[in-house]
Amino acid sequence: MNQQLQVGVIGDYDPNLRFHIATNEALLNAAEALSVSVDTSRIPTESLVGGLIGKTLKHFHALWCAPGSPYKSMDGALRAIQFAREEGWPFVGT
Amino acid sequence: MLGIRDAEHEETAPDAPTLFIRKLACSLVGKIQTIKIVPGSHAYRAYRQEEVTEQFFCNYGLNPAFRNTIGEGQLRITGVDLDGEVGIVELSDHRFYVATLFLPQIFSRPGSPHPLIVAYLKAALAFQSSRRDSAIKMRPRGR
Repeated sequence: MNQQLQVGVIGDYDPNLRFHIATNEALLNAAEALSVSVDTSRIPTESLVGGLIGKTLKHFHALWCAPGSPYKSMDGALRAIQFAREEGWPFVGT
Repeated sequence: MLGIRDAEHEETAPDAPTLFIRKLACSLVGKIQTIKIVPGSHAYRAYRQEEVTEQFFCNYGLNPAFRNTIGEGQLRITGVDLDGEVGIVELSDHRFYVATLFLPQIFSRPGSPHPLIVAYLKAALAFQSSRRDSAIKMRPRGR
């Protein structure tokens, strides 16, 4: 069975932004090259304000801070980036 | 993390005293730039090249006044374009923590994935395995 990766993409999804589609496509292309599957979940920045951030993010195997600033909540985005940095989650910000 | 408590972004706080991220000298929207990659970095291990070309879609970047501050911490500048703008920063003692001013995803195609994203997913796979291993070790014996 293929390994299944869960990637959390932090950002406020806009289906009209081609970068957002490109982010998903890039993950699929890379996963295919590695013969694994990837599941992408969008994490709106406002959902990251308040509460335990670890609870929201810990089941992902990697986090990606997506393009599209200004974010609806800069604080929410920064909390997720801090979580990845301090807890050692694989991370890209593009 | 660099001890700059009031670090701000010019796009959202144009009048703040400490603009860590400021408007670029010239907009990079749509531009394709050559970036020099620092050997030994996560980025270099991904690209295996000292020069790459990437496409940018941004108007903001690291304020040059903070370049030395970054060099002193664990955050390292590992990619710089030919005009001297910082294109990549990363944490050296982290399993994979890379931030880019350009959009690597733009150049990814089926059958030709972006090397940085492949390296990122490899790190995710290794992370997944290490967590699975530690979960097995923590399971009580005799059950």
